[in-house]
Amino acid sequence: MKRSEPMSESYYYILLCLAKGANHGYGIMQMTEQLSGGDVTIGSGTMYGATGNMMKKGWIREIMSDEPGLERRRLYQLTDAGREALRTEIARLRRMLENAEEV
Amino acid sequence: MAREYKTSFKAYAAWNYEKEIEDLNEASEKGWQLIKGGCFSTRFVKEPGVRYRYQLDYRRIEDMGRYIETFQEQGWEYVNSTFNGWHYFRKLYDPALPEEAYEIFTDRESMKEMNGCWARLALGIGIILALFAVFYAVRMISRPNLPTLLYVLVFAIECVVLLRGCAIMRSESASRSRRGSSTFLAIFFAVIILGAAAGVTLFSMRPHFTTSPQAASIDQPFEDERQMSFEIRYPDSYYFDLEMESAEPMTFRIVNEDGAPVYEVSQAKFSEESIRLRLPAGQYQICLSCSTGFRMNCEFE
Repeated sequence: MKRSEPMSESYYYILLCLAKGANHGYGIMQMTEQLSGGDVTIGSGTMYGATGNMMKKGWIREIMSDEPGLERRRLYQLTDAGREALRTEIARLRRMLENAEEV
Repeated sequence: MAREYKTSFKAYAAWNYEKEIEDLNEASEKGWQLIKGGCFSTRFVKEPGVRYRYQLDYRRIEDMGRYIETFQEQGWEYVNSTFNGWHYFRKLYDPALPEEAYEIFTDRESMKEMNGCWARLALGIGIILALFAVFYAVRMISRPNLPTLLYVLVFAIECVVLLRGCAIMRSESASRSRRGSSTFLAIFFAVIILGAAAGVTLFSMRPHFTTSPQAASIDQPFEDERQMSFEIRYPDSYYFDLEMESAEPMTFRIVNEDGAPVYEVSQAKFSEESIRLRLPAGQYQICLSCSTGFRMNCEFE
């Protein structure tokens, strides 16, 4: 298995927030704050850069919302590659945690 | 009631953009709201009673719609962009909100990415400037003169200022030393403008001509060739290439206003490049003397 680079906190939380379904930038930000108890915030510059880079990597894609009231709203959706990247990162984090418990 | 506008002509160095944000925030508190930010000027409108907080971003935007939407989602209003990729945003100030609500970069990686984006460009330009400095420095060894020396200095100074800015932008400490930032920006522009103007002026003041008179024989300064007299307008090193050939030895001479020779060669066949003359300002004349047919070519610069 190839060793992957550790993910930045922002990348990690964005992918995590998309795991259960597509969401827009604001939704991702709110969910991140909620999940982390306000510890992690994702500012607009960070959000634009991270989503742009992850789209280039093929981890997420942009779709247009068809929900009533949210038509033509930009949503981000996790791709299979993104799900895989998230899984790998979680495995890495879990291993790190286990290592800490062993010592 | 007519609205009141003002334009401030204050330039900020890219590596000092936090200072620009601070100044915009302060102006907003005093009732001056940003309409258009620029590299050399900033336009405000008087609008007391509101207060904004500002942020600056630097990047190449691939999707402007997505970019503006991403900022709007978090309450940022897009103000404008400069031609070179700086983007201005503002958010209504709410004292109830924590300070983090006015940050647009919330992790070290994205901050580094933004700073690195500018630093890479500056590094690229810095390297090009360094190459120019080296090119003229090499010329300075083979043909030293004032304009060349000036070009070396201009390119070297610009290169150092830019690379210094690059290093500041890359440095990670949250509170970068801002000391002398506007001084360095002033140096940068002064050197470009004054250096370029002085360099072009000095270069154009030098005589540039080629003369190759053909004659059976002469024994006088040839006044009929208009290039035969020339003027040196400032003391410096000047160079010329000389080639001449005749059956008998001929004399090539450059004399100053007093008729004293500053250069003289008497030979039947002669060819030399980059002959260096250190000349004070004044009028000079090229004289030839030869009793037989000859061929001569002189390129002066």
